[in-house]
Amino acid sequence: MSTILQEIEAQIAGVQTSVKRQNVGIVREAGDGVARIEGLTEAMLNEMLDFGNGVTGIALNLEETEVGAIVLGDFTSVKEGQEVRTTGKLLSVPVGKALLGRVVNTLGLPIDGKGPIATDKTYPVEKIAPGIIKRRSVSQPVQTGIMPIDAMIPIGRGQRELIIGDRSTGKTTICIDTIINNARLNTVAETTGDKTHRPLYCVYVAIGQKQSNIARVVDVLEKNGAMPYTIVVAAAASDSATNQYLAPFAGCAMGEWFMDNGMDALIIYDDLSKHAVAYRQVSLVLKRPSGREAYPGDVFYLHSRLLERAARLSEQAGDGSLTALPIVETQLGDVSAYIPTNVISITDGQIYLETGLFYQGVRPAISVGLSVSRVGSAAQVKAMKQVAGRVKLDLAQYRELAAFAQFGSDLDPDTQKKLDRGRRIVEIFKQKQYAPIPVEIQSLVLWAVQNGFFDDVAVDHVKECQEQMSEFFTTRKSDLLKKLSKEKAFSDALTPEIKAAVTEFKQGFRPAVAAGAAPAPKPAQK
Amino acid sequence: MKIPKQARRQARQLFRVCRPQGLLDDTRVRAAVTAVLDRRPRGFQAVLAEFQRLVKLDLTRRSARVESPAPLAPEFQERIKANLTQHYGAGLLIEFAQNPALLGVLRIRVGSDVYDGSIQARLTALEQAL
Repeated sequence: MSTILQEIEAQIAGVQTSVKRQNVGIVREAGDGVARIEGLTEAMLNEMLDFGNGVTGIALNLEETEVGAIVLGDFTSVKEGQEVRTTGKLLSVPVGKALLGRVVNTLGLPIDGKGPIATDKTYPVEKIAPGIIKRRSVSQPVQTGIMPIDAMIPIGRGQRELIIGDRSTGKTTICIDTIINNARLNTVAETTGDKTHRPLYCVYVAIGQKQSNIARVVDVLEKNGAMPYTIVVAAAASDSATNQYLAPFAGCAMGEWFMDNGMDALIIYDDLSKHAVAYRQVSLVLKRPSGREAYPGDVFYLHSRLLERAARLSEQAGDGSLTALPIVETQLGDVSAYIPTNVISITDGQIYLETGLFYQGVRPAISVGLSVSRVGSAAQVKAMKQVAGRVKLDLAQYRELAAFAQFGSDLDPDTQKKLDRGRRIVEIFKQKQYAPIPVEIQSLVLWAVQNGFFDDVAVDHVKECQEQMSEFFTTRKSDLLKKLSKEKAFSDALTPEIKAAVTEFKQGFRPAVAAGAAPAPKPAQK
Repeated sequence: MKIPKQARRQARQLFRVCRPQGLLDDTRVRAAVTAVLDRRPRGFQAVLAEFQRLVKLDLTRRSARVESPAPLAPEFQERIKANLTQHYGAGLLIEFAQNPALLGVLRIRVGSDVYDGSIQARLTALEQAL
């Protein structure tokens, strides 16, 4: 009882009761999530406004005689003639490790039914990106667990890599696989007590998605043990355009907290096309002048200021990083549309997913020719660098020759060899969803391919061979895997051991007989 | 009524003319309205509606409302007027009103600025803090 009394006394003593000057205005017009307010002569841009009854807003338009504000919360409760006050604050969201494992809305309030979030730290939603001096070159990898990406389009910590493609081409799957793989690495490091591992925390921002999709994503993350390292910020399609507009910035603030505190974070914006549409809606209702495709003139700035906040900081600035994976949806493969070209010019590379490849069975449907990572091999471990260097070239040659070979003309042995190698590499790069592959296994498989161990395996059996090889190394050659994981390179001492192990595996490899195939002939009885 | 851009522009020009040296001149306002009504140019209703809004905003900006739970003594009222004029400049339209709900002290509103030292406001702040 005495503790309660002391708490109340402290709270009462802490209340400021001196007379303060407040700036007020009157709502002249309200509708569509926007309010136009007369008065508020001292309102500042992006300042939070208090409409009363727990409803807040943000001042976005500062005009000569009135202020245009977007309403957060229940905008149906805002009425004409209502008094509005300035708060002198910017919109802030709660941040910190307490948000890990939680699903929150744009304001950082929990919507997963698991109770309140215990954190007293807040970060402003709009913040200036780190300057040039505070930054450092990207040199640490983000292991996505997806072989074609880790081999040919490597992503580094602090990079912005765009994932672009038509609907249902596997964009979100790539991001979920990345989260799952990094959660697995974090768990392994915690279990083994590896102090050298830098955990990667993930923030998944769902903008304008169906709630069923968001629920499915959360379910997948929970089943794969990834939620303890993930924050989900949800601004579903049923949320107001204001919430959808602010959600990426809120998520970025949560990710920035990790970066500013010396940790690494990954943020996924799914997707920025819907974000641009929400911003267009808000701008048009605020009667801002519209430009191309009815988007406001500052739609580029909308995304550039968001994505510039992803960075790798120098040691003096804390040595943290924030990696961004924005997603943009194209219509019928048109990457030259307005929003896709904007975001392509901002990011440090793109992963382009093609519908044609998807339906051919190449999943992930990554177009190697159009995808690029501007960070490149600086973000690869040495083992991967050693084996993946030629792969992109081999695939490019294969694509050229495959079109030529369709005419059925006789091919010289060299060309045939390239075609065979290319087909096997394409098969190797196919991967199931939610099944990321550790980087050691990826390096081993690619090493085996580059050294011809898959050349005598039928194309139909390449995947089976790869899976059995992975299982072989995981169960029977785990020491070798650990050595490779520790050294992170194919050293002169390690390579002969790996060669011997792969040879041993190949000797014992027998592809399973396909269903419906004729059984092998029985030996003649004597 | 939807007010077109042209009407807004014209109303703003008219308003500027009625504000020599930054203060709204009542005589000019009346003359402007009379002139527009006499001539009735195209879209004059929209222009007058916007002009009325601008005048209303200017008057609100220059209006001060002093609320107290009980009537204030004339000397105290004069002191308040002097302080407000010193702070906000000449041309303020000051109004004194009674509001028993305040319980104590004053609530002064000048344009968009509110100085609320009333007991009611402090109790509300305490309630929100707790």
